[in-house]
Amino acid sequence: MTTGYKDELDPRPFIEGEQTDRSLNDSLLHHVLRGAGKGWWTLFSISLCLLSILGVSLGWTLYKGIGAWGNNQPVSWGFGIINFVWWIGIGHAGTLISAILLLFQQRWRTSINRFAEAMTLFAVMCALIFPVMHTGRPWYAVYFLMPYPSVNGIWPQFKSPLMWDVFAVSTYFTISLLFWFLGLVPDLASLRDTAKSKTKRFVYGIFALGWRGSGRHWAEYKWAYLLLAGLSTPLVLSVHSIVSFDFAVSVMPGWHTTIFPPYFVAGAIFSGFAMVITWLVPARHYLGLKHVVTIRHLENMNKVILATGMMVSYGYLMEHFIAWYSGSPYEFGIFFHTRQRGPFSGVYWLMVFCNCVAPQFYWFKALRTNLMFMWIISIFVNIGMWCERFIIVVTSLHQDYLPGSWGDFSPTVTDLGLYIGTIGLFSTLFLLFMKFIPAVALTEVKELRHELEHEAHLDDAKGAHQ
Amino acid sequence: MSDGGSFKGRLFVLAEFDKADALLDGTTAMREKGFKKLDTHTPYPIHGIEEALGLGRPKIPTIVLCGAILGIIVAYSMITYMNVIDWPINVANRPIHAPPANVPITFELAILLGGCSSFFGVMALMGLPKHYHPVFQSARFCEKASIDGFFLSVEMAHDGDVTSAKAAVTALGASHVEVIEELER
Repeated sequence: MTTGYKDELDPRPFIEGEQTDRSLNDSLLHHVLRGAGKGWWTLFSISLCLLSILGVSLGWTLYKGIGAWGNNQPVSWGFGIINFVWWIGIGHAGTLISAILLLFQQRWRTSINRFAEAMTLFAVMCALIFPVMHTGRPWYAVYFLMPYPSVNGIWPQFKSPLMWDVFAVSTYFTISLLFWFLGLVPDLASLRDTAKSKTKRFVYGIFALGWRGSGRHWAEYKWAYLLLAGLSTPLVLSVHSIVSFDFAVSVMPGWHTTIFPPYFVAGAIFSGFAMVITWLVPARHYLGLKHVVTIRHLENMNKVILATGMMVSYGYLMEHFIAWYSGSPYEFGIFFHTRQRGPFSGVYWLMVFCNCVAPQFYWFKALRTNLMFMWIISIFVNIGMWCERFIIVVTSLHQDYLPGSWGDFSPTVTDLGLYIGTIGLFSTLFLLFMKFIPAVALTEVKELRHELEHEAHLDDAKGAHQ
Repeated sequence: MSDGGSFKGRLFVLAEFDKADALLDGTTAMREKGFKKLDTHTPYPIHGIEEALGLGRPKIPTIVLCGAILGIIVAYSMITYMNVIDWPINVANRPIHAPPANVPITFELAILLGGCSSFFGVMALMGLPKHYHPVFQSARFCEKASIDGFFLSVEMAHDGDVTSAKAAVTALGASHVEVIEELER
């Protein structure tokens, strides 16, 4: 049972050690079936504390209204939109790994897709809180966001990018959930059959939907999964393009550019992969996944971070070039004065350092395969991408055309509470996920092992022939 | 069981093979011997199982295509009806019917309905969720089929020759064979 197939470009194995279906099954389900340890409870308690901050901040926002936030005129989009775009972007790596890498037949995706897809779902949940609260009275939002025949006899304005956002994000969440669950069904069946306790067998059995690995089922299932991947691929590109339309369709200096859609998508993937690294580096250790989430997988992700970081840097360069080349004094002012030397120039230069400089270390193999180092860089990227959204939202709004209508922005405690609170929500959901659901797509890893073994046999046969 | 056996459970011969290749060959051979109601049970999809079971083209792509086209039609007609016919909103005298502005929502709804028809379509084709199936009566099946076992189930007619079916799968290299009679629930 060797997994000795050699890739000539990169001989390192996708699955380390001599593995069988049974050994993979037991090692990858171990973290679900064992009891929660002290470490898990500690992290979970911290997350719940952060989550309670979210509860308080949401409650205060609902009681007080949007006045509890730092938004003002002219900065009518503050933390709400910054955090929305940041979270949505983080979600994008999950879909990229699960869908785009599947279509490209990248075998290293198999060990990390479940993890990243879960991240997508939780990040989108966090993201959705912000625009929903930003409507002011969310219980009325349904009247103007949803096209339903109301007694007022009016309909939503479908030419508005904000309406496009509603459709894009809700579609994104729905499709990500279905894709994730469809991939999970065979794993839940494995879990049902591996679990010893009756309760676990019963609960996992319900969610496994009676899966029995039927060949007739697999024949349709494989196609359904592939088609969902095929649909998710343009979807993920469209979602962040549409998010960027919220800005690009307006006439604000610094927003009104055609480079926004591709540059937002690259930034989204950049921050999403960084978030995967942030969670995966510790998780692979504590969940015992080192044999399937190898340094090779992490290194590949770091290469994606480097590539997308370069795209983001190119985006910055192009924005500045066009601002200069356009000859528009407002565009020039935003990019070369307000952002670089204005009141928020510290955030700007932090962004440049985190997004353009920090990933450059990944050119060195020793650094991009160093766990501690990659973890630190991933934190930098997370911070840098948050700064980018801050710079885009706040600087363009607070000093636009007439100096007479310029303003200032500072977040309130509620703003900070909501932001920290959503991090709490994210980590709470993530810890629950890592406790109750297989963090690695077990069935796909077994299938990969089977394929690799098959190829190794073919190679051996060829070798014997020569 | 009160009315003296009016219930007639289905009858299966369940054979386990050691390797995926053996299962593939065994399935093909059984089908060639004239056994119709065959199914395999494997922890992951095995390449070539469709041919071995003699399945036709998958139906799900057609369903997804229909879903996606439906999404396009629904979205575009919704936007046109609501914003052009029923409640035109004139903003700075821009065209009331503006096709480029309709692209994003039309696209998203095509994906939404296409994706939903993929998920719910495949569930309908597989007949899931269905938590009961006679093969689960086998303890060996429950222990291995989703983990590392390769099973072939042959559904027999009530008057079928179970002995010869058992002999056939054994001859094809099945390592473990059992007969499952569906119990009344």
